[in-house]
Amino acid sequence: MLIEILYPELCNLFGDTGNMRYLKSCLPEAEFAETSLHDEPKFISAAPSLIYMGPMTERAQERVAQRLMQYKERIGELIESGCCFLFTGNAMEVLGEGIETADGTIEGLGILKLRAKRDMKNRHNSLFLGKFGDMDIVGFHSRFSTAESEEPGFASVVRGSGINKGAQSEGVRKNNLFGTNLLGPLLVINPDFTQFLLGLMGSDSKIAFEETSRAAFKARLAEFKDEKRHLD
Amino acid sequence: MKTIRFFLALWAAKIIKLLLRLLRRPGTYFSGKVAIKICPDFLGRIGRPETIIGVTGTNGKTTVCNMITDLLEAGGMDVLSNRLGSNINAGVATALADGATITGRCRKNIGVLEIDERSARLIYPYIKPDYLVITNLFRDSMRRNAHSEYIASILTEYIPKTSKLILNADDLISSAVAPENERVYFGMERLESETEAPENIVRDIGVCPDCGRTLKYDFRRYHHIGKVSCECGFASKKPDYLALSADFDKMRLTVSEKGEEREYTLISDTVFNIYNELAAITLLRELGKTPEEVEAALGKIEVVKSRFWEEEKCGKTVTMLMSKGLNAVACSRSFDYIRREPGKKIVALMYDDIFDEKETSENIAWIYDVDYEFLSTDDIAQVIPCGVRALDGKLRLLIAGVPEEKISPVSCEAEVADAIRYAEADRIFLLYDVYRHNIAVKVRAEVMKKIEEASSC
Repeated sequence: MLIEILYPELCNLFGDTGNMRYLKSCLPEAEFAETSLHDEPKFISAAPSLIYMGPMTERAQERVAQRLMQYKERIGELIESGCCFLFTGNAMEVLGEGIETADGTIEGLGILKLRAKRDMKNRHNSLFLGKFGDMDIVGFHSRFSTAESEEPGFASVVRGSGINKGAQSEGVRKNNLFGTNLLGPLLVINPDFTQFLLGLMGSDSKIAFEETSRAAFKARLAEFKDEKRHLD
Repeated sequence: MKTIRFFLALWAAKIIKLLLRLLRRPGTYFSGKVAIKICPDFLGRIGRPETIIGVTGTNGKTTVCNMITDLLEAGGMDVLSNRLGSNINAGVATALADGATITGRCRKNIGVLEIDERSARLIYPYIKPDYLVITNLFRDSMRRNAHSEYIASILTEYIPKTSKLILNADDLISSAVAPENERVYFGMERLESETEAPENIVRDIGVCPDCGRTLKYDFRRYHHIGKVSCECGFASKKPDYLALSADFDKMRLTVSEKGEEREYTLISDTVFNIYNELAAITLLRELGKTPEEVEAALGKIEVVKSRFWEEEKCGKTVTMLMSKGLNAVACSRSFDYIRREPGKKIVALMYDDIFDEKETSENIAWIYDVDYEFLSTDDIAQVIPCGVRALDGKLRLLIAGVPEEKISPVSCEAEVADAIRYAEADRIFLLYDVYRHNIAVKVRAEVMKKIEEASSC
């Protein structure tokens, strides 16, 4: 099983690298390939079980969008063929049509019908409680951008903000591509979703440290559901 | 020009400060906050010292600020500082109001101000430091600081063009701030005692800022601190003040100053504090102090111990280490320190955010940027994650490779002393967030009592 991590030297903010460290514990036999910005991605000649990219600085986002542009057709093919993608934080924005900034628009790959708008004067921080099918999803937002999307969402909003402040859904889902503004150790703190993702990737492994993971999830979920606690 | 509004603000600040003093309350920023509320441009109207030294950066700014103030005072100067106050605009206003006469004239010739990076836009339009020390820039609280590139851009936008910058050449991020300003660099050669750094999770700059290639380090000290060069020609800045060697037996530091070698008293044996001392030496030398004057002052000071406390009892050593919670680099530095210490060790972690635990739920993403992997060595006998996030701590430790039998989560600090398996180690480390100092002191007292009872010494 091949898992490709795109541009870890740039896309490593906000504790997101915890996702891949956790996945390594879940899938000790899998090959984790880290692809640097100037390397040719493995997905050009192979079909990884998962392609992962984490959040990055705004300057890095421009570099990454430029770099991935040459691979947009291949990425589109892989999405259509059901390859799993997990893009967290602002990573999913590069797959959209563009990112509006104070200095102009950064061209996206145009794979997703999504437009992001960056506002460096306002940082949005909040917690998120949502539903993915019948699963509870918990997560963290910390971002300068919001988005408008015509794609189906990743999770519906129960408490907190979605893809923008008034939206009823968070992130995007296109086949097995999961794009989400949620950041940090998303897979670590969502045992049900991670178990589901492992299945989509073709693995029948159980999530690592399941007992502790579920106990921590239960404690967090209770806090996120507690109306006396604010999520923003 | 001083307006009636300004005088009302100044006098209100002075009265509030007097009342707080009578009530024995700290008053670190409240009087300044009221002054700014009454007169929004209070900082622009209050009298300022003739020479202002600012200190900013992610880590070490309080230590450097205290060091510079102590060194100047040891040299006989009367210094205005916000060392007892906060480092945001209200804290600076409090310090300046305290140091002013009732007509608003500053009573001191020199000021040393710790300045919060995020407060740049509120402070620098009014307070223009003659010298500004930037200790370093790392990722910090994601909610407040986003990432280090963002903080660097804020500093570049707001630092006054007239400020002479004292910068860490070994830090690619802070050394590139405000490129048009006059600047002096300090740096450190690889010390004899230093081996190649382990892989830290956090490296805030991964690619060459000029060409985008992956950065190659000639020597990496920790995180992104070190010396780099790139095939495109980009390289770390050349230090004007370069620490050549540190003799930890004799506590001497040899510094090459623009090519000339000088020796100074070394006031701490941690690498992080050598950088802090170097920043202070560089500032003083640039202020025109002679090496002899700097050395005489260094002999009279010590690093403030509030962040580090250690005591031996019945053959066991208990160490308290304070770090900024939500700050992955500060906590990783503490873990690295523990990793390098000899003996069998037990570590209690009291890092939960004290505000979030009451009102919301903490965003724990930052703990995945902390090098918990440093605690997975054989000489760590037990780790005790503590607080409402104890299970998150346990999970993080499991992912880091710490065996489950070594992890003892407890739900609050009061349970730490009972959870420690005293017989298994001779060193006990109590790690805690800045806002948990008083709680940590209580834990320490309990631990010391338990050690005494168990050993009957």
